[in-house]
Amino acid sequence: MKLLETMGDAIKNGRVPSRIFNDPEIWELEKTKLFGKVWSFLGHESEIPQPGDYVTRYIADNNIILARDEHGGIKANLNMCRHRGNQICKAEMGNSSHFRCSYHGWVYKNSGELVGVPFLKEGYDGLLDRGNFGLVSIRVDSYEGLIFGTLDKNAPTLEEYLGGFQFYLDIYLKPGPNGVEVYGPPDRWAAETDWKICAENFSGDGYHTPVAHQFGFALGYFPSSGTTHNLGWAVHIPDKGHAIGLGHTPGLPPFVGYPDALVQHMKHTLSEGQQELFAKTRTAVGTVFPNLSFLIQPFSPIPEEKASTVRFCTMRLWHPTGAGKMEMYSWCLVPRDAEPEYKERAYEAYTLAFGQAGTFEQDDFENWTNLTRQVGTSLGRTLEFPYQMGMDLTPVTDFPGPGVAVDRYVTENNFRNQWATWLSYVGAE
Amino acid sequence: MSTLTIGVELAIQRFLAEECLALDERRYRDWLAMFAEDGRYEVPVRVTREKDAEWDLSPRSKIFDDTKKTLEIRVRRLETDFAWAEQPPSRTRHHLSNILADPAGESGTYVVRANCLIYRSRGDQPTYDLVSAQRRDLIREDGDGFLFVHRWAAIDQSTVGSRNLSFFI
Repeated sequence: MKLLETMGDAIKNGRVPSRIFNDPEIWELEKTKLFGKVWSFLGHESEIPQPGDYVTRYIADNNIILARDEHGGIKANLNMCRHRGNQICKAEMGNSSHFRCSYHGWVYKNSGELVGVPFLKEGYDGLLDRGNFGLVSIRVDSYEGLIFGTLDKNAPTLEEYLGGFQFYLDIYLKPGPNGVEVYGPPDRWAAETDWKICAENFSGDGYHTPVAHQFGFALGYFPSSGTTHNLGWAVHIPDKGHAIGLGHTPGLPPFVGYPDALVQHMKHTLSEGQQELFAKTRTAVGTVFPNLSFLIQPFSPIPEEKASTVRFCTMRLWHPTGAGKMEMYSWCLVPRDAEPEYKERAYEAYTLAFGQAGTFEQDDFENWTNLTRQVGTSLGRTLEFPYQMGMDLTPVTDFPGPGVAVDRYVTENNFRNQWATWLSYVGAE
Repeated sequence: MSTLTIGVELAIQRFLAEECLALDERRYRDWLAMFAEDGRYEVPVRVTREKDAEWDLSPRSKIFDDTKKTLEIRVRRLETDFAWAEQPPSRTRHHLSNILADPAGESGTYVVRANCLIYRSRGDQPTYDLVSAQRRDLIREDGDGFLFVHRWAAIDQSTVGSRNLSFFI
């Protein structure tokens, strides 16, 4: 594809072709070359705490059962009977030791092993080797409760894939000795939006906030944007695509929004470098390449009631379902060690701000959907977008965390690395 | 059979119809005034489960989880010039049917069940969103009229087919 041959140079010059954000050919390539290779997020361990618990999730268009087997192990298998391909599990979550296909009745353990075949003697004359027809197993690995799967048997380990981004993920995942849990099942909705623009936005698009969410400033949620909004850091892991924006507002108390007990815990769960950085971080908005994002933000549901500030955390999966089409999974993560009352307040803040009826979320999806439609048009798809912000910035030399950091909140350094990484997959021979 | 008088039934139906009109005409302050000060507004997250599962409406996750105070924040947002999701505004039409009103525990309070189908048109696109929901409201007599004490609505889709819910259910 010619577009992909020239895109590497375009990115070096601070340009990205508009067409990648809504194109059927690109989507066909992404399905196998990108989502066939990367580590994709499947679920959080707290969604399947007990033996037999399962959720069904996707890697690209492949439906996958993520289950905790009877021995407590985490298994991922393609949700497809090996006999004729029927979907064997039709629920999004539940608890079951076995799955039985409703077509000819093949029965599988939740670990994927084929254990029951009707008419094995009478029909197959005992000649079918059940060992050859277990569910298609998906390789899994996890970090701090996040379970990822990959379709590539030769993929590097998850640790290698994350490549140091774990340092930053800990701001979301380690607010206490017992980490985080999902508050409940995720919001799910469909949008005519390309997953990539969402993943980019959550890689640290500090630029959009004062405009796309201008109502938030009008209502008094945030201090005036003009002088301090650009303060903070944009950090990315070169060639891995992971990135985070860390917004900083001078004068805010350290770890603002967390209960004191949790802040005390963090002295034990976070390294000194993490504590130094996270204490002064107001907003942390990051993406694990390609499509898992996080946001943590201090927020008081009633703008005038700053004393009720909590720090909510949302985790979202931008699940692509076609060119310019996606389905959203949006969770709220809460610290396991927090009091139930704090978890409830954090969840209420999340629903008001994010989630599909969230006041901030609403505007993002309005913009992203309209953008997706425009870049799919005959003229709109021929353009290049400027991605030149911060091209001449010198990285911070004594930054406490790994990767490349620049000391700006409004910049595009992270995005250039994100789309260069995307190209390294989609444009590969 | 309902033990309510025809007059009370009709008055409740009128109250619900007036609410639909306030929403569809975007008279959000009028709408807000129909909620009691202790009013709650709740839309649970639905999950596709097996038939024998304990629940398919999450007892924890919610799409809306509002008090009158946070509903007022949503209205204040819509009153700014920067609520882009509703700029230009969606055209919504709330269609109610199967309205069943019954006395609730406390005197002067009623449980009202209804089907709610919301049509939403945005911009000049010929496409539209349809959101079908089951409603169960608790309302309370107030002077000559009623107030919503608790709006509970459950959307029938577990993956909601709308880019956002910038309108009310």
